[in-house]
Amino acid sequence: MVRNVLESRCRERRHALLRRLAGGDSIPLLTVKGLKTHFETQDGIVKAVDGVDFTLGEGESLGLAGESGCGKTTAALSIMRLLPSNGKIVNGTIDYQGYDLATIREAQLRAIRWKHISIIFQGAMNALNPVKRVGDQIAEPVILHDKVDKEAAMKRVGELLELVGIHRERAREYPHEFSGGMRQRVMIAMALACNPRIVIADEPVTALDVMIQAQILELLERLKRELDLSMILISHDLSVMAETCDSMAIMYAGKIVERGSVRDVYKNSKHPYTKDLIGAFPDIEGPQTLPAYIPGLLPSLINPPLGCRFHPRCKFAWQLCVDQEPGLDPVGEGHLAACHLNTTTPPRKEVA
Amino acid sequence: MRAVDGVSFDVKRGEVLCIVGESGCGKTTTGKALLRLVDTTEGDIFFEIPEEEYRRYETMRSRGGPERAAQTDAIRRKYSFSWKEQLAWDTRQILTVLGAFAAAFILGLGLPALAAGLFRAALVNSAFLLAASLLCGLLIGMAGSLPPTRISARTPGMLGLLAILAVNLFPLLAAKEFPTSLPTASADLFGVWSAVWGPGFFGMLAGIVLAPAAAGGASKILLGRRRETEGLQAIKMRTLRRRLHLIFQDPYESLNPKQSVFEIVSEPLVVNRIAHDPEEIAALVGQSLEDAGLRPAEEFVLRFPHELSGGQRQRVSIAAALALQPDFIVADEPVSMLDVSIRTEILQLMMELREKRGLTYLFITHDLSLAWILADRIAVMYLGKIVEQGTAEEVISHPKHPYTQALISVVPSPDPRHLAKRTILKGERPDAVNIPGGCRFHPRCPVAFENCGWSADEVAEELKSLSTAGVLPGIAQMEAQNPWTVALAVVPGTTPEAFIETFRHVVKEHRDSRRALKAIAGVRARGGYVYVKLHQGSEPRLVELEPGNTVACHLVTAPAEAPHALPA
Repeated sequence: MVRNVLESRCRERRHALLRRLAGGDSIPLLTVKGLKTHFETQDGIVKAVDGVDFTLGEGESLGLAGESGCGKTTAALSIMRLLPSNGKIVNGTIDYQGYDLATIREAQLRAIRWKHISIIFQGAMNALNPVKRVGDQIAEPVILHDKVDKEAAMKRVGELLELVGIHRERAREYPHEFSGGMRQRVMIAMALACNPRIVIADEPVTALDVMIQAQILELLERLKRELDLSMILISHDLSVMAETCDSMAIMYAGKIVERGSVRDVYKNSKHPYTKDLIGAFPDIEGPQTLPAYIPGLLPSLINPPLGCRFHPRCKFAWQLCVDQEPGLDPVGEGHLAACHLNTTTPPRKEVA
Repeated sequence: MRAVDGVSFDVKRGEVLCIVGESGCGKTTTGKALLRLVDTTEGDIFFEIPEEEYRRYETMRSRGGPERAAQTDAIRRKYSFSWKEQLAWDTRQILTVLGAFAAAFILGLGLPALAAGLFRAALVNSAFLLAASLLCGLLIGMAGSLPPTRISARTPGMLGLLAILAVNLFPLLAAKEFPTSLPTASADLFGVWSAVWGPGFFGMLAGIVLAPAAAGGASKILLGRRRETEGLQAIKMRTLRRRLHLIFQDPYESLNPKQSVFEIVSEPLVVNRIAHDPEEIAALVGQSLEDAGLRPAEEFVLRFPHELSGGQRQRVSIAAALALQPDFIVADEPVSMLDVSIRTEILQLMMELREKRGLTYLFITHDLSLAWILADRIAVMYLGKIVEQGTAEEVISHPKHPYTQALISVVPSPDPRHLAKRTILKGERPDAVNIPGGCRFHPRCPVAFENCGWSADEVAEELKSLSTAGVLPGIAQMEAQNPWTVALAVVPGTTPEAFIETFRHVVKEHRDSRRALKAIAGVRARGGYVYVKLHQGSEPRLVELEPGNTVACHLVTAPAEAPHALPA
């Protein structure tokens, strides 16, 4: 079964390569355009995701980064349409192979979920059912989506567990018998159960030890290579992203403020927020000083600031930033940033 | 389970020491033990010990001997707050205490008895009885509390009981010796007793209350004086807790959701009876909140934890810790739950407070890059032991222990060159209940060698995996015979000699990738079986390379004895 899948994957990959050679860009697998997801709460409408565009190419891994509460997870859940009952996609399209995931019927979506797009949920400690055997939990989507009997499903579970580096006999154990890193591996096995093409990993290494973190990231990278997956990695840790992703998008208050290849975004950031965020990480190879920090708090998503949303915390902000919202404009090849600094020269600061 | 097993470090005033390690390595337990939130099984935690006293303690401890033990105990009693009186009494102490008691009895009984003999009818005089009981109680209380006795909470009670015994014996003895002192002489002991104590209320009071109270009181006062001069144990842990404080990891769980910020911050003040006056409390709370960066304080005092952001909550935790003006703070992963953008603010606040209030920090973290920017010194822990300790510069820039090297190599970094240097350790840390022998790190160590403490079980496991992989054919059965020998039975059709030939070859080829094979010292056939002998391992000592820089690894220090195999 795995071999068949691998072969078909190879074929697809060859096709993609041929297409690329033929001159066209790699055809995006997933295209998100103008996505707006809002939550209705007692205090008002929370605009958690407010106009987000990105594309995910075949075999690409894209990182979504930002402070907590900036809408990363909501964006990911919107793709799967797994939002809580008060959340709604109010605008935008999510195009996956001609299907608009934002609007297609639930039944159709169910056929895409897990078989085509799956998710590794945040917090492996809580995402597993404590009273069910690990093997049964992984088998659940296999039985449901691949329409196979229990025996075949359990065989597949064994393969999946070996794939993520767990002995197949441990399928009979319960989640509490696994350590944090092992549970994360189980979550990954579960996400891979139906051979998806896109895996969304929501903070896959947060709350894990550094060494286990490195193990899990290495595993994800290996799986991505071997199974030719496309991946959306959500994390607040930019250095993790820099190690594993091809391109990354920085989100702030429900919007993408910068997008591009990891190299461009990291080494040649064009948005003050990106620079601040990168500067906030202590560098073990750098000087022994406290890193910089971004003063202030994330703005309320009910009444986001007018103009550029980052202006209240931005050290370069001037009047234009309050008056007009900057668009996500190209600043380099495949590198976009939403900042007035890139398009206009700021007025000289008056000397006090 | 040995969560923390033989850890030694010191933190100097105003210093930041970081303890780094994977979760479950005993970092948090160490931090808690420092504040006696977890009781230690063994070892000492010295607080404010003068340098020369500590050096004296160290030299005496290293030399050993019963006399020195007594002297080290004296130092431990004075400065260590994990000190517990648990040693057996020695003969000299028992004899002195018995002597003191005898003297007290003789004085406390003999003197009044003598007086009773001289003054007729003194035994039924209440004033005399009271005075005699008081004297008796005081003497016993004092004699029982002077130096050779141990300072213990039970002593006053014991002495009180002794005093009851003494004052009740005294009239009996007196009546026997000087029968004339009793107006109505009775023959039997009970008759005498009731003749003395029976008639008046004062007698009862003296015998039952006054003497033991005098003994207990005298003993309490004396012991209290002795405690002040001799021991820290005595200064109750609660007073010490004012000066040592803890900041917990998770600001979402460490604050009581039903308490307002004011209640949270003022609680330590009330509990420790620092302030009683509501206005004074309010002023102190306001001051701590402002120091912790929650300005203006009035805006925050009435809020509840759920109305605060993560960073603000952690600031409340810090404010509560600061309220008592502590000297020493154990910060257990104070920023790991916070967003990156807020982290630095909290760290900066902590460092500012260090300057402003002269605080000393023990910082517990799993993040080496955080340790690098914060610490003056770093201690790396693995499975309850410190494997490397030194200044931040020494540990991060020139790590010597393979575990430290691996930890540093996996710190995520945007630099692609960094990826190539990564050493990802296999597996997870072993269970603290079942700690590997020799060096605890050897099963995961990428550079482990002969003497790192491989056991026959581990080698047998490795041989088994080679055998199942088909690399090493011909094994029928395998067993760890003793800790340094593995016995093998070869399959029929193969001679042990031929097997040994392939065995040697395979081991030679694979010993660099499968480190357990390194432990094989020799292989020999005997009686149709093949015996694999192993090198003997040992636990590496913590060696001081330079003052303050210690490492526990055989690679740094050659094992004391030359490697040799034991006979099969």
